[in-house]
Amino acid sequence: MRLSAIAWRSLTARPARTALTGLGVALGVALVAGTLLTADAATRAVSEAAQDLYGEADLRVRAFDDDGLGTESVAAIRVIPGVAISAPLAERRLLLSTQPGPNEQVFTLTAVGVDPASEAALGRPRLTSGVPLDADRPNGALVAAQWAADHRLDLGDELLLTGARLETPPLTIVGLLANSGFGAQAGGSVLLVARDTLNAAFEVPSPVTAVDVAVAEGRMAEVEAGLDRTLTQPFVVETVADAEAAFARAQAGFAGIAFLLGLVALSAGAFLVANTLAMTLSERTREIGLLRAAGTTGRQVRGLVIRQGMALGLLGSALGLPIGIGIGAILVNIVAGTRAALVADLTLSPAVLAFSFGLGLSVTLLAGWVPAAEAARVSPLEALRPTHRPGRGLWIRLRWIVVAELAVVAAGFLLYPLERGAPPIVATLLAVGVLIGGAVATAFLLEPLGRVVGAPFERLFGAQGLLGRANLGRHRARTGLSVAALTVALAAVVTLGTTAASARGTAERWVQSILPGGYAIRLTVASSIDALQDTIEATPGTLSASPVPEFGVVVTTPDGDREAGVAGIDPSVWQDAGALIVVEADRTAAFDALRGGGAVLLPESFATQTGFGTGDLIHLAIPGGAAADFTVAGLVAYSLPGRSGEGALLVSLADARATFGAEQATMWAMVPQLAMGETAYGAVVAEKAAQLAGEALTAAVLAEQLARSLERLLGLFDALALLAVVIGGLGIVNTLSLGVAERTREIAVLRAHGMTVGQVEGMVVTEAAIMGSVGGIVAAAAGVAVTGLLVTLAPRDFAAGLVIPWPLVIAVVLLGLGVACLAGLYPARLAGNRPVLASLKHFE
Amino acid sequence: MTILEAQNLVKRYPVGDGQVDALRGVSLAVERGEFVAIMGASGSGKSTLLHLLGGLDKPTSGQVVIDGVNISTLDDEQATLTRRDKTGFVFQFFNLIPLLTVRENVALPFLIGGESVHERRQRVDELLAMVGLTGKADHAPDQLSAGEQQRVALARALATEPALLLADEPTGNLDYTSGGEILDLLWRSCVQLGQTIVLVTHEARAAAYADRVLVVRDGQILDQIDLGRRPDHDPGELLTRLALLGL
Repeated sequence: MRLSAIAWRSLTARPARTALTGLGVALGVALVAGTLLTADAATRAVSEAAQDLYGEADLRVRAFDDDGLGTESVAAIRVIPGVAISAPLAERRLLLSTQPGPNEQVFTLTAVGVDPASEAALGRPRLTSGVPLDADRPNGALVAAQWAADHRLDLGDELLLTGARLETPPLTIVGLLANSGFGAQAGGSVLLVARDTLNAAFEVPSPVTAVDVAVAEGRMAEVEAGLDRTLTQPFVVETVADAEAAFARAQAGFAGIAFLLGLVALSAGAFLVANTLAMTLSERTREIGLLRAAGTTGRQVRGLVIRQGMALGLLGSALGLPIGIGIGAILVNIVAGTRAALVADLTLSPAVLAFSFGLGLSVTLLAGWVPAAEAARVSPLEALRPTHRPGRGLWIRLRWIVVAELAVVAAGFLLYPLERGAPPIVATLLAVGVLIGGAVATAFLLEPLGRVVGAPFERLFGAQGLLGRANLGRHRARTGLSVAALTVALAAVVTLGTTAASARGTAERWVQSILPGGYAIRLTVASSIDALQDTIEATPGTLSASPVPEFGVVVTTPDGDREAGVAGIDPSVWQDAGALIVVEADRTAAFDALRGGGAVLLPESFATQTGFGTGDLIHLAIPGGAAADFTVAGLVAYSLPGRSGEGALLVSLADARATFGAEQATMWAMVPQLAMGETAYGAVVAEKAAQLAGEALTAAVLAEQLARSLERLLGLFDALALLAVVIGGLGIVNTLSLGVAERTREIAVLRAHGMTVGQVEGMVVTEAAIMGSVGGIVAAAAGVAVTGLLVTLAPRDFAAGLVIPWPLVIAVVLLGLGVACLAGLYPARLAGNRPVLASLKHFE
Repeated sequence: MTILEAQNLVKRYPVGDGQVDALRGVSLAVERGEFVAIMGASGSGKSTLLHLLGGLDKPTSGQVVIDGVNISTLDDEQATLTRRDKTGFVFQFFNLIPLLTVRENVALPFLIGGESVHERRQRVDELLAMVGLTGKADHAPDQLSAGEQQRVALARALATEPALLLADEPTGNLDYTSGGEILDLLWRSCVQLGQTIVLVTHEARAAAYADRVLVVRDGQILDQIDLGRRPDHDPGELLTRLALLGL
């Protein structure tokens, strides 16, 4: 036998502890691998979605105006030299329903009218089942597979078009779109149909919003020049990269949270591993002392401990990968099911798996280095004393773990591809700093806070409470770090919940501020303002019905021209209804300026990006059309959705009509009379919207939808954070088990003095309960602090300020208590089952 | 009045394929207020006997009756409660709870019984005064000398005024002076408080404090030496009797 065999035997001698530690490492690696695999699937999905959207097309020629590209423009594009294939896309909002009856369903979908032959030539769309659109099946329609599943629809089912010509036959679902490409647009609420069918169904043809073009090889410049030369209507040329960027923007939040959570999992895992190895060492101090006394050098001892760390790291990391793949598969399924983000099928990316494995091994080795160095310094005399105790200060013991934690976070930053939409580095670093700081603070706060938290336990459980609380002070670093791992995980749960609550408040504020009166009607196609004014104003109980025409402009900024959306609003209606949060200007003056004409309100985010401020002159122009200079009358915290998801610039309705000729609108803001109840008015608006083949919007419903989609996303990550809580729980099992092993004789003395098995078990569970309570309390504070930090750093995203969901915070404290109590059960059984006599002879 | 009675105690341990008889039919009786020492060489079975008498272990056969309760037939829970009510233990290695203060350690049996330190403060302070540690009530155990720690352990064992105090080599880990102090305290508790004591030791000097010495060899009581109550604790007579036994 060689000396190194001792390292292995030492692990196999305590199989339960070795397995527990390996499992802790495995879960940490699994969380990282699962999160990264999901993030990888999301990243690939973005790329795939853009590729699928374009198919063989190289360019998308998009109409600048909402009127779309005219027939001449579409024809002109087709014949530009170098254009191999051109595929026009017509787009409109549609109201559809299933067959009338008790199970009738009504949907609002974005319908895309395509030319089936051109689509086939471009090799799209990608279907999961069924057949593509075909001239022989003019009433065939394609819907997204996930959307169909959500609404219990399948191939062969029929959809009726609301507001279509009477003779229009129902559409039949002939194919299901993959949740990518077309199927990824509008959150999957999309319907593909032949353009001719769409045009035949309605009085007004749907505008061609874009023409996708496949360019013959090597003739790109020729086509670009041809477009500039031929088209008289304003247009924008986009590529697959633009589509990819748009998809990526839409799920930046997902990638950001995934990254943050990966760091949290790593931190919790690192705490657990570092602590367990330190405990393993502490448990084996006597053995090491014997080895040292027998002539083993410090270097040899260090090698033994590092070998143990490596064995645990290899074992845990190897076990963690399959678990991580399982977690990734579950996450991808959930994300796909809830459409929280675009995800591709799970692919076992060798890079991700190697990264997770390497990280697990590195963290274990890093965490093992400190105890290894300590082991090498163990004095044989000190180690062989009957009651050997670590004599070093708490901070000295902790600082290396803090260094290890920081190294882990740094490794995460270095190795994780940040361009995937991670949150700002400063905010992330600060957030992780608060989490780690909170965790380390736990070690220091454990004893004083434990005294306070333990008081009711002492009162309730007497000796068990007193001893349980007193035990916390026995190995402060070790116990503190175990609680720290739990704290980090619990703090992540609090952060996610508090962020969701704060964002919910913001969503409500946003929606309420952009919908005067709280109601609106959105038509499926833009219609003449004058033609509809009387009809919409006649809605019962309406105080005012105000059209909101929307159109695109080019804004001249110091960095060049950029595209922006503009909405025309009636200043009086919006002012009287208390809508819009005006910042950096007097509200009355801003609305007066808008009423006076020649003024614009800019969304705060747009002002930040472009550098425009109140009083500046801004040049707005419709390419090839009207142009005018406007004075910035003020900034608004939120605005109506504009192009590319950014807020629209707001001009007065009069300016929109007079200057830009915007005589059509799809959106009408509805202000109810004071006497109208919410439910009653909601019903009449819904009825009016249905008559106009449009949809009714209410602030409450929109805010709820926004909040729900956010909560769905965060809820998903809650599940991951809860796994980190399980890791924290394992740490407590480990620590308490070791504590019980060390206190064997002490427990036997208590039993000899009449402490029953139940009391001994209660003592250990009480100790765990106090640990969990302290962890929960610190986690609640740290979690709220992290969200507070995010709110401070991103005031625009959290304009409603910090909202603390107290029920959740209390639930997390109770969760900490519960998890710790559960974690305490096994060590409690160990303690209770120790034979008294044998234990009295135990020599620590 | 007999406070402790053991009848035909047998303790057999399996060792490999065979078995070892640690005790082979030991019977004894201890009267209330009596100080009895059990002497014997290492491996003679004296500690096994003490553990059976204290209810820490169960005999293979035979029975132990403490204050009228046959503890040999009790389950673990009942045996534990009987220990709590009727016995006190002093061990060679003090076994104080390091995280509790001296006062809390002395009060431990009360705490285990569901009472608070506050409720039994007077009793605890009396015990601390008895063992001469009034001024160190709020000290941690590791701030005390070995002798002082054993005095705390003794006070803890006496806290509930147990029917029986069992001491297992209480001086085995102490220097000569400290050991003497502990033996004096044991003797005083017996003489002044009427405490019944069973002391296991291999030292004649300690055993000489007892009224009666039971000599154990090979799992049996070899002889019983009646010394009577003697304030001088002179071991001379005991040593003579032991020499006659060839010990």
